[in-house]
Amino acid sequence: MMRIENVTAQYQTITGPVVSVKDVDFTIRDDEIFGIAGESGCGKSTLLKVLYDVIQFPLEIAGGRVVLDYTDATGAHRTLQSGEIKNVWWDAISYIPQAAMSVLNPVYRIDEQFFELFRRHRKGSGEKAMKDRVVQYLNELDLPVDILKSYPHQLSGGMRQRVVIAMATFLQPNMIFADEPTTALDVVVQKSILMMLMELQSRMHNTLVIVSHDMGVHYQITKRMGIMYSGSLMELGTTDEIFSNPLHPYTKMLIGALPKVGDKSTREGIPGGPPSLRNPPPGCRFAPRCKQARPECSQSVPKFVEVAPGRFAACHLLGK
Amino acid sequence: MRLAKFVLSRILIWFLTILVGITVVFFLQRMMPSDPINNMISKMLGMGTTMTPEEIEVMRESLAKQYGLTGSLFEQYLDMLRRLVHFDFGLSIANYPTPVAQMIGQALPYTVCLLLTTTVLSWIIGNAIGLLAGFKKDKWYSKALETVSMCIYPTPYFMVALVIMILMAYVKQWFPLVPAFDEFTFTWEWFSDAIYNSFMPALSLMLVGTGWWIISMKALSSNVAEEEYVNYGRMKGLTEATIGYRYVFRNSILSQVTALALHIGGAFGGSLMCEIIFGYPGVGQMVNTAINNSDYNLLTGVIFISIFAVATATLLIDLLYPLIDPRIRNS
Repeated sequence: MMRIENVTAQYQTITGPVVSVKDVDFTIRDDEIFGIAGESGCGKSTLLKVLYDVIQFPLEIAGGRVVLDYTDATGAHRTLQSGEIKNVWWDAISYIPQAAMSVLNPVYRIDEQFFELFRRHRKGSGEKAMKDRVVQYLNELDLPVDILKSYPHQLSGGMRQRVVIAMATFLQPNMIFADEPTTALDVVVQKSILMMLMELQSRMHNTLVIVSHDMGVHYQITKRMGIMYSGSLMELGTTDEIFSNPLHPYTKMLIGALPKVGDKSTREGIPGGPPSLRNPPPGCRFAPRCKQARPECSQSVPKFVEVAPGRFAACHLLGK
Repeated sequence: MRLAKFVLSRILIWFLTILVGITVVFFLQRMMPSDPINNMISKMLGMGTTMTPEEIEVMRESLAKQYGLTGSLFEQYLDMLRRLVHFDFGLSIANYPTPVAQMIGQALPYTVCLLLTTTVLSWIIGNAIGLLAGFKKDKWYSKALETVSMCIYPTPYFMVALVIMILMAYVKQWFPLVPAFDEFTFTWEWFSDAIYNSFMPALSLMLVGTGWWIISMKALSSNVAEEEYVNYGRMKGLTEATIGYRYVFRNSILSQVTALALHIGGAFGGSLMCEIIFGYPGVGQMVNTAINNSDYNLLTGVIFISIFAVATATLLIDLLYPLIDPRIRNS
C-alpha cells in the first residue's frame, strides 16, 4: 500500500521554483491496478517520480511525504517513506519506463541483463539456478526463449517493451509503476502489452500503477483511477464510476471527447490548453476552460473531498 | 559467405591503402629539389677526392644503377614495388653501403618499445581517469583532474619535453641528457638500464598522451552517463560500481579501442620530435637524417613500415571490432 500524504513537488529553476505537483493526497491499495490520467504537462510523470522516489536536482519535494507499506519476502512488515524507498528499488517496487526502446544496455545480451538483477538483488543464487529461473519465467510469459541470446538492437520495439516488463516483474515486487508503457507502440502491440500487464498483476496479486494520457488504456485495465490537471488531482474513484458518472467538469469533458462505437455525433474537444505551471491561474486551475465556472471558481481553490465513499473530487459545484 | 566477403573486402582495402601510400611517397620524393647522387658526389669531392668530368659521369651512372634510379620514372616505380614485396628497400644512400632493412631493423625495436609502452600505459591511465571524471563529473576531484589535463594537453610537445629535460637532467641530474644503450642482452641489468635511459622521453610522451585520453574519455563517458539506459540502470537499484563498469565504461570504451589501435600502428613510424629532442636512437631520428640527406631508399623504407603498420592495425580493428561491439556484428 502506498499513501501519498499532501505531496507538493517542484522544480528549481533560475527564475524560481515551478510547482508541478500540488497538494496531492490519495492512497494506492494493495492488489489493484491504479491509473493516473491527464494530458501532457499535467504533472503525472513528476508525480510518478515522486512516488518512485527518484528525486534528483532540480526536482524536490516541497511538502508532504510518500509512505510505502509492504510485507517483504521474509514476511516482515515494513514502512518506508520518501528518501528510503529507493533502497528497495526492484526488491519491493519496480519501474517500467516510458521509452523502453533505449533503456536496455546495448552491449549486453538480454540474459546478462537478467543475471545482473539476480546478482544485485538475490545474492548467492547459483549460475545454473539463475539461468533456469529466467528461462522458466520467459516461458510463463509466453516469450520466446531465444531472445535471451539477443542484443537489444536485434529485438523489435514491442519485444523490447515486453523484455523490460519481464525484467520489472521478474523479482516479484510488491508494486510496479508503469509510465506510459504503450505510448510508442502500435495499437495491436499495445493491446497485447496491456493484456500481459493485467495477467501478471492478477497472477502476482501485487499493485500496478499505470500513468497514461490514453483514457482507453485506463478503461481497459485499471480498477481505480485518478484524473490529474495542472499538477493536482481533480477526481478519483473506481474506473467504472468515473467513466459512467464523471463528477468533475474536466472529467466530463474528457470522457465526452472520447469516440464511442455507433455514435456518429461530432465529438467535442476541450477548448484552450492547460495553464502554465510557472504562472497558474488563481482559484480552480480549470476555471478558465470550464463552461460551468462561477465567480468563486477563480477566487478560491476547491478542496479535494470525499463526495461518496471512495469517491473524491475537487470542484466548487459539488455539494451545492 | 558474408563473413568471407567482409574479410576479403577489408583485405582489399588494406592492400589498396598501402599501395596508394607507397605511390604518393615515391612521387613526392622525386619532387624534392635535391638530387641524392649529386649530393653524394659533391660530398666525395668535398672530402678531397679528385675526379675528371668523365670519371664523374661514370660514377654518376654506376651510382644511379645501384640505387635503382635508372630508366623512366615508371620503370623505377615498378622496380620499387617489386623489391618492396620482399621488404628489400635497397642500400642507404647516406650511409652507403648499409642496407636500409638493416638500419630499420636496428632502430625499430627502440622506437616500438618506447612508443608501445607509453601509448598503452597512457591509454590505460588516461581512460581510467577520464572515465572517473566523466562518470562522476560533479565531484571536486573530477574537476581537478580535468583542469590539470586541460592544461597539459594543449602545451606544445617540445615545451613539455624541454621542461622535463631541463628539470631532470640539468637542474637535478637524475637522468642522462643523452640516452646510451649497450648491446642488447637478455638480462635484468640491460632492461633496467634501458628503462633508466628512456625514462625522460617516455615521461614526456605519457604526459601529453594521457592528457588527450583523459579529455576524450571524459567527453565520451559523460555523454554515455546521460543515456536513458544508465538512468534506468540506477532505477533498477544496481550499485554505482556496476553502473560505472557495465553501463558507462563498456559503452564508451568502444571508440577508444579504435583510437588505440591507430596509435599503436603509428608507433612504428616513430616520434620525430621526441627522438630528436632527447637524441633517442629510433626511427624518428632516422627519418630526420633521411630527409636532410635525400636518402630516398631509407625514407621509402621507413614510410613503408609506417604505412604498413597503420594499415594493418586498421585491418585488425576492422576484423576484431564486431567482437567488442555487438551492434556492428549484423551489418
